[in-house]
Amino acid sequence: MFIGRDIDRIDVLDKVLGKPIFAYDLKVEGMLFGCIYRSKRPHALIKKIDIQDALSLNGIVKVITHADIPGENAFGAIKKDQFYLAGDKVRYIGEPILIILGESEKIVRKALNSIKVEYEDIEAIYDPFSSRDSTTLIHDTGNLLSYRTVIKGDFEQGFNESDVVVEHTYKTTWLDHAFMETESGIGYMDETGKIVICSSTQNVHYKRKEISKLLALPEDRIRVIQATTGGGFGGKLDMTVEGYIALSVYLTKRPVVMRFTREESFLSNTKRHPLYIEYKTGAKKDGSINAVKVNIIGDTGAYISYGETVCLRAAIHATGPYEVPHVFVESRMFYTNNHISGAMRGFGIPQVAFAHESQIDEVALLLNMDPLEVRMKNGLRRGSLTATSQLLTNSAGFLETLKKIEPFWKARKKQGLHTGFGLGCMYYGIGNTGVSNPSSCYLTFTDEGKIAFHSGVCEIGQGSDTALLQILLETLNVEERDVVLLRGDTDTSNDAGSSSASRQTYVSGRAVYDAALKMRKYLKSKGYYDCETLRGVCLLAKEEGLPVFEGFFDPPTSPVDSKTSQGIPYATYAFATHMTEIDVDKATGFCKVKKVHASHDVGKAINLKNVKGQIYGGIAMGVGLALMEEFVPSKTESFDSYYIPTSMDMPDVEIFIVEDEEPTGPFGAKGLGEPALIPQAASIVNAIKDAVGVRAFELPCHIERLKALIESEKDKWVE
Amino acid sequence: MLPEFLSRTAKTKEEALSYITGLEDVKVLAGGTDLIVRMRKGEAYKHLVDVMEVPEMKGISCDEEGFKIGATTTHNRLSNSQFIKMNARSLSLACGLIGSPQIRNMGTIGGNLINASPAADTIPPLLVHDAVLTLESKGGERKEELEDFIIAPYKTSMKSDELLTFIHIKRKRFKDYREGYKRVTKRAALAISRLSVAWAIHEYEGLFHDVRLAIGSCTPMPFRPRIVEEFLKGNKKEEQIIIESVKMILEEIKRITGDRPSFIYKIPVLKDLLENILRG
Repeated sequence: MFIGRDIDRIDVLDKVLGKPIFAYDLKVEGMLFGCIYRSKRPHALIKKIDIQDALSLNGIVKVITHADIPGENAFGAIKKDQFYLAGDKVRYIGEPILIILGESEKIVRKALNSIKVEYEDIEAIYDPFSSRDSTTLIHDTGNLLSYRTVIKGDFEQGFNESDVVVEHTYKTTWLDHAFMETESGIGYMDETGKIVICSSTQNVHYKRKEISKLLALPEDRIRVIQATTGGGFGGKLDMTVEGYIALSVYLTKRPVVMRFTREESFLSNTKRHPLYIEYKTGAKKDGSINAVKVNIIGDTGAYISYGETVCLRAAIHATGPYEVPHVFVESRMFYTNNHISGAMRGFGIPQVAFAHESQIDEVALLLNMDPLEVRMKNGLRRGSLTATSQLLTNSAGFLETLKKIEPFWKARKKQGLHTGFGLGCMYYGIGNTGVSNPSSCYLTFTDEGKIAFHSGVCEIGQGSDTALLQILLETLNVEERDVVLLRGDTDTSNDAGSSSASRQTYVSGRAVYDAALKMRKYLKSKGYYDCETLRGVCLLAKEEGLPVFEGFFDPPTSPVDSKTSQGIPYATYAFATHMTEIDVDKATGFCKVKKVHASHDVGKAINLKNVKGQIYGGIAMGVGLALMEEFVPSKTESFDSYYIPTSMDMPDVEIFIVEDEEPTGPFGAKGLGEPALIPQAASIVNAIKDAVGVRAFELPCHIERLKALIESEKDKWVE
Repeated sequence: MLPEFLSRTAKTKEEALSYITGLEDVKVLAGGTDLIVRMRKGEAYKHLVDVMEVPEMKGISCDEEGFKIGATTTHNRLSNSQFIKMNARSLSLACGLIGSPQIRNMGTIGGNLINASPAADTIPPLLVHDAVLTLESKGGERKEELEDFIIAPYKTSMKSDELLTFIHIKRKRFKDYREGYKRVTKRAALAISRLSVAWAIHEYEGLFHDVRLAIGSCTPMPFRPRIVEEFLKGNKKEEQIIIESVKMILEEIKRITGDRPSFIYKIPVLKDLLENILRG
């Protein structure tokens, strides 16, 4: 029995012994160092690029411009709108213009300073509202990237029927993923002439596709391997170093390494989308939420990345995990000349949860009801219709997550002078939104008489290798020593899709289950479950030409309606409730997060220790989002000014698991990666209100903002 | 990337002084938790002289007047020293809050003073204790009050051929004083002080007898509000006096620094902190 067991992560021993080689530490004989020269202007035409001084430096091998690209100078996860190297125009500070290649890192970094670029500035746009109103266009298609609406019922009627209305505006800012390992990788040409890239990434097959287009080479001439990766959180979904390394290898025929400094990482990587959320809630006296009207304005930065997806996902999740009969949501994403916003754990939903959870608490306050009771009353359950009118027929354990928290909520007692308690809830669609997002894998046998598990799933620290292996072992009823895992290599695996959208345990887990069922049938037919040894079966299989057992799963979803977004955007949803206890120092505005009770409906916990690990990490990130993390364009350069929580900022955490099994998932499992983070910031904000009577409408609610709120409240009393 | 440099390790004070005088473009390394970071950003020197292995510049010792601290004593050692806990509680607290365990193990009190950041945690406690510094050079030694030593943010009166060797605190133990250090940071650890206050206060029968305050991160250099300290001397410990004196301090800060955007936060916080400190 492997499911639900606390088995150790399969990589744990090697990692504590320091054995795995992270992308940042990879080396190849004779490698060149590559560095990117980036735009210093937010919006400008490039008039002239002078690389002569750089080329004359001893040790500089090549400077690559956009003109050297053999294939398409375009990439993008959703649409191919981003340039590998800018040609005539730059749209943000940090946009790549050149690749400099040299014999050492030192000489290449020195050469960066001898590049001269002449620009002709264009008016730069720094916020979505100016973008909306400006006649300056960042792209020919206009400054509005995406406009999505969710329409259910009749919101006007809904508000007319409501007894109370709560209306507020919420704001969030840019956040950096702050992964431990910055973007890095190596590349080389192998003996067959194939271009091999080994990098820190969340998706190998997507990157192979992009490189194929970039170099105008067939995909089978390119191999992408995932090196041991030090964190992703969405920041290694887009092309980071891979395209540049591939291009450099292609043009120089030499091995190439690229490693971003922390400063380069901050400058170049995508950020969490800043969202501006106008939120109106109508409720009846009995506490039932009757109508919700939301207007979301987002900043995608200079290019799309995942901007369209976040725009839609945020709209769909805007009501939170509550059944609301009348819903009207508008969501717009604008281009600006800021850093590109992209995928980051939660895909817009941590921002949205901050808004809907604040609203629920304000409704409860107005109706003089217990906030938990209001949530219980309106919470989604089996038989509920979501905001997209999706009927929840299966796994929907939201109320159970609330019930786990209820005794602690009822027993809560303020210890300190300014102690507060807050609730935060969420639901989250697992997998990509309203589109096919399949995963595929295959199993076969090795010469050594073992089962070969070929997986394209990127292990980025979240524990997918272990969870998938547990599913395989359980289904086949074999031991860990019987299996060899071959993972994250386009040459030895099928496309499993990205490690994103909390999808790998659910989607790829099901694909593994599918493959395992087929292999189990084969093992059975060869007598493995009677008395034949695995080695014996392998010999038989060899004689039959090594059969391959493919597994596949694509979650059953349907595209949502383009006007109303009604439909089935996700096959299943995760649910969670967090209760947070904090202490506020009124003199300084410092908020200490003391204790979190976190309750999650994960469908089925494949590995309890891993589930807990995800939740601890999610809470840490939630503390950062709520209280300190803030990327300020052109100002934030490193961890010197970008504060993320330390272990000293971490609260005690108690975890409760709800297992409302999802029939389409492997052994009932859903996803957890992002849900772990989503409700945390919201619960802190609600706790602050409980502690000192002020509500934060802008995140992060750092010491300065909180003190200002406390001071303004003081002034109110004086008046 | 770190620029290239030559490094020397001095084993004695004399050796260190010879290097400092003899070598050109030379900088003393005393822990390096600030220096190396700046050098990674481009600050360059031809020579670094590591003084961490000079035995006499390390540790705490008593003399007739009080006690002295070697300039290369680490923050960690100071924060864990029972003697410092007893005799300079605010310094002990401050040293325990600096940076992270790694920084406290590497960073030194001398380095912290030479760096002379407005947010340096060791400075307010040392100001409260009227610390005096010994600066040595080939030509001899001189003593200077810490208050005069720091002449501008990140700038001291130290000459290029000088080495900071000792920090002197003249009297042992503020008996019957309540002493402390409080700092405000954006997170619980590994943070630079947004604001800091060190204090040592002696009260007697409802009167302020001796009030020593030092405020960091508010003015270009951490400072002692001496006018108010004088005003409080002999005054009654009552709410009106406390509020009045804090108001005077805030006005003095504004006079020194002018109005700054950060004061929207700092002034109300400092007001609450100082009032709470004086109330005790």
